Amino acid sequence: MHSEKDKDNRDGHSRRREDDERKHRGGQSVERRHRDPVESRPERDKERDRRHGDSRDRQRKDGSHDRRGDKDRGRRDDEDRRKRADDGRDRRETAPGKEDLRERERHRDRHKDKEKERAKVKEKHPEEDRDKRREDREKERRREEQEREQRRERRRRDESDEVRRDPTGKLHREPRDRKHRGEHEDKRRDRDVQEDRRRTEDREYKEEVRRHKEERERRHKERRRHDETHKHDSASRERQDSKQSADDVRNSRGDRERTERDRHKERRKKEEETDIERSQKERGHREAEDKDVERNHRERSGSKKSSSGKSLTYEKREEDSNDEEVVSRQQTAGGKNGEEKAEKADLAEQEYEEDFEEYEEDFEDVEESADEGEDGPDVDDGKEGPTAQASKEIEAIRRAMAEENERAGSARSRHSAVREEREDKPGGSEGSERNQGETSRRGKFIDFVAAKQREVSQKVATRQKKRSTELLRLIDLDVTATFSLLDLPPVSEYEMYIKSFGNANAKQAYVQCNEDDTDRDVQTEEMEMCEKWTQHPPEYSGACGDPNPSQEARDKTSGELILDSQRLMSFLRSASQVMVVLLEEDQAERKSLRKLKTQKDSLSFSDGSLQLNAKLPFLLGRQISLVHFSPAQKHIMLSVHTPTATASAVRLDSCAVVCVWNIWEPSRPQQILVYGSEVQCCCFSPGKSSLVFAGTPVGSVVLWDLREHSSTHYRLRIGEDEWTFRHPTFSTDAVMCGSGHVSPVTSVEVVPSFAAGRLRPELPPLASEEESSGLSFQLASLDESGLLNFWVVVELPRGNEAGSPTDLGLRPGGKVKLLHSSSLLTVQRPSLREAAKTRPFQTLLLKYHPTDSNQFFIGTNLGLVSHGTSHGLKAPPQFYRFQEVDERTADVSAIHFSPFRPNLFLVGCADGSIRLHAVSHDRPLAEWMNSTAGEAVVSLQWAQTRPAVFCVFDAASNLHVWDMLKDDAQPVLTEKMTADRVTAMAVFGDSRQQNTYSGIALAHESGNIELRYFTQTLTVPSPAEEGKLESLLTEAF
Amino acid sequence: MVEGSDTYFLRPNHQLKFKPAIVKGYIREIVRERLSGVQYDPENVPELTLSLAESVKDKVKNAGFDRYKLVVQVLIGEQRGQGVKMSSRCLWDADTDNYAEDVFMNDSLFCVVAVFGSYYY
Repeated sequence: MHSEKDKDNRDGHSRRREDDERKHRGGQSVERRHRDPVESRPERDKERDRRHGDSRDRQRKDGSHDRRGDKDRGRRDDEDRRKRADDGRDRRETAPGKEDLRERERHRDRHKDKEKERAKVKEKHPEEDRDKRREDREKERRREEQEREQRRERRRRDESDEVRRDPTGKLHREPRDRKHRGEHEDKRRDRDVQEDRRRTEDREYKEEVRRHKEERERRHKERRRHDETHKHDSASRERQDSKQSADDVRNSRGDRERTERDRHKERRKKEEETDIERSQKERGHREAEDKDVERNHRERSGSKKSSSGKSLTYEKREEDSNDEEVVSRQQTAGGKNGEEKAEKADLAEQEYEEDFEEYEEDFEDVEESADEGEDGPDVDDGKEGPTAQASKEIEAIRRAMAEENERAGSARSRHSAVREEREDKPGGSEGSERNQGETSRRGKFIDFVAAKQREVSQKVATRQKKRSTELLRLIDLDVTATFSLLDLPPVSEYEMYIKSFGNANAKQAYVQCNEDDTDRDVQTEEMEMCEKWTQHPPEYSGACGDPNPSQEARDKTSGELILDSQRLMSFLRSASQVMVVLLEEDQAERKSLRKLKTQKDSLSFSDGSLQLNAKLPFLLGRQISLVHFSPAQKHIMLSVHTPTATASAVRLDSCAVVCVWNIWEPSRPQQILVYGSEVQCCCFSPGKSSLVFAGTPVGSVVLWDLREHSSTHYRLRIGEDEWTFRHPTFSTDAVMCGSGHVSPVTSVEVVPSFAAGRLRPELPPLASEEESSGLSFQLASLDESGLLNFWVVVELPRGNEAGSPTDLGLRPGGKVKLLHSSSLLTVQRPSLREAAKTRPFQTLLLKYHPTDSNQFFIGTNLGLVSHGTSHGLKAPPQFYRFQEVDERTADVSAIHFSPFRPNLFLVGCADGSIRLHAVSHDRPLAEWMNSTAGEAVVSLQWAQTRPAVFCVFDAASNLHVWDMLKDDAQPVLTEKMTADRVTAMAVFGDSRQQNTYSGIALAHESGNIELRYFTQTLTVPSPAEEGKLESLLTEAF
Repeated sequence: MVEGSDTYFLRPNHQLKFKPAIVKGYIREIVRERLSGVQYDPENVPELTLSLAESVKDKVKNAGFDRYKLVVQVLIGEQRGQGVKMSSRCLWDADTDNYAEDVFMNDSLFCVVAVFGSYYY
């Protein structure tokens, strides 16, 4: 019993010591491990062998010897620890010891499970093989690390020594630091290796010496303590024992040993109070430790009871502990696998922490220093494959085991004698617990990888630092200007509005316009303008009109055709005239032939007659005052019809009508000319009879231009026929008030353009006349007062439709006008002197010398014909008088020059006397006083074809035909036309050889115009006639 | 361990130099492809930015700018008419390092992608 108690006691003591030892060994094992590569290879082999041997021993001896050795070792370690504490270094190295305590606690709690343990036992052997291999690798690696470590250690140790002393107690308390702490411890051990190595030589020697001493001392004490504790516990223990089976004895003994050991420790510490180094704190701690030990004991006893009931072998436990170690290592290194376990451990730890606060304070600085170096190896740890991790762990375990064995071996070798003496009963629990302690301690080695990682990273950092310093020497770094990566201006309100609302049915359009493009406004309304014209009298197409539209319309419609149509019209006009003349000639000739036979009886001198169709509505009731043939175109005749008093359908009553006839076209007049009042005298233009001049009683000279287009004149439709009434183209009525006539115009005469003295009576060639006449010739007009006016006939290049503002006498559109050239007062002194006696002198008739335009002959109311010249010297006979008397109050009613002998002219007077004058003599060649039986001579004209024949028409409508070749004293025949009185007479005829005709035009009172052709005897000239006239001239002078 | 004998390529090969124009083209291509017609969605944008940055990085990496460290920054923001200014400043070796950026605008979002290439000596 005693032995048992003693063993228990010793167990407890050893247990306690083991704790210490483990704490201590935390440093030592590392030390040894690091020393491994340095140590000789055989030693390592030995170590392995030893380990194997150890395990075998344990199995074999049931831990008796082995455990004893262990105990010894524990004791030795304990001493060692104390020694170190003395050295001041102990503080550092006890930290792992504390850790081990906790670890062990955990192991115990966890590994109650029998089956698990058994399974792991089976795994043991293959694991060991693997472990060996890993161990080798681990060693190599460690060797490398050591080399690095050595370098680093040198500078770091200095630092860490300083840092260690910084108190930072909190770190330790925090549960999450657990893992780190394990790593710290690894690191610290690494570091310690260096220190240890330096110290080892001397220390080991000293230690050994000391240990020997201390061992002896302690064992004395322990024996005493054992006794004491046995007394306390014996009762409970024995009860326990009695219950337990024989197999369980070992376990229970282990338990007892443990408790005893705890108490041992307690006591030992009490003893240690005497030690100088123990501070006041430690005393408190010890007290706390006492409590703790008790608690531990309780827990352990509980656990052991359960476990003991299951007949665990120590060997198994040992294996368990190995397995546990794996787990714990995983916890510490990986921190991932066993979080629950960690929690449990934490719980346990918290309990312990209270107890070990003071110790921890001591260790904190150490841990902190370790903390410093620890950066990121965790991550790398995590990245390592689970198998690699496991293998490392196992390797670490093996190594630890080997170390342990080695140490144990060494301890044994040193203390075996002592231990064997004293510990005759080594408890299996001792071995198991020691193994547990080992395993738990080895858990800290797991973090060596992390340390390595950190080492590597630090190495890299230094390399990079070096690199950077080298590079920075070569490179210039410069701060760039600010790059603008994005500059997004805020959207303006308008754009926002457009963005949100501007899209609907609207489009944005932009226009750029000129700035100077301004608007100009006019407030007044625009004037409407249009052109109108008015004309009085309304001759054609109304009195007023709108020139522009009509003009434009006309231009547009007929513009293209006008050229052709004008040519066509001119052609048609000429052609139609020719055709009409031909047709009418044919018709008239047949008629006249017929009439000649019928009317032969009535008129002796005529062998035919032609009736002009004067029975026109507008000519009804008009008397014909004058019939006149054109001197150039002998077939053109005009008849002047006086205004009528009787009302007719046509409103031309107050107008004189002048009809222009072509005697070959008797059916209708070619032109109808109209004038507002009477017409006194008429004449054709020289040459082609395109102009008609007329003098009026009101003293105006008018002219008609027969070439004007009929459409511009007043048209009147009467019955089926349309008649064009031409108003005068030009009138001197209003214009020539200063230079015009103030008396009735008695005669108008064209001034011949022949040169003076030229005498070609037989050659009145149309061609020459037309050529010479042109349209620039002079017109002479004579009024009653003797004023002779000369007019220049001017043709304008083009007419003005709207009327000329300057030539007020010109008809709109008219082209021919009269310009007053000069005036001449023909009545001179003698006439004034004599006329004053009797009656006012009147000039009644104007005749120009047919071949001399300078000489003109004016018939007066005194029976005299005055002879004048328009310019130059006066011609010799001033007056042509009667044969016997100078003058008589008888009007000169007719003067006619012989067409064959221009220097001979006939004068007829109102008293019925007829004189034949030669131009050069004032006295007549012949004078016939009573040829007309006292009737006034109205008209007297030479025949056109026979020079010796002339006709005299008297007021009693008697026609006397003279043929001086037959009888020069009286007319050869006298025809009385009483039935239808003749009002006017004109002789016509053509002296040309091929078509000789001659006749007399008789205008009857009824308005008929009859053309009577002379008989052959009166028409065909005889060669003796010229001689007759010559003889008359010579006879007279 | 043999730091003393290190050699440095102080300048990149001309052909392997970081060429902003090419990178910009890549960015444009990728961003256009990925973002055209995309509406801003605050839920998706974080992932979108990440994936954009990743694809731009991959693309530029494959462009063969050897020894270049790349930083890709992607910013996607909603466009609500606000004004945004974004600029960067670098401390680097202007001879070797460069950057490329491109902006993509949409009706609903704008996206700025900047790629900084820093030469590793």
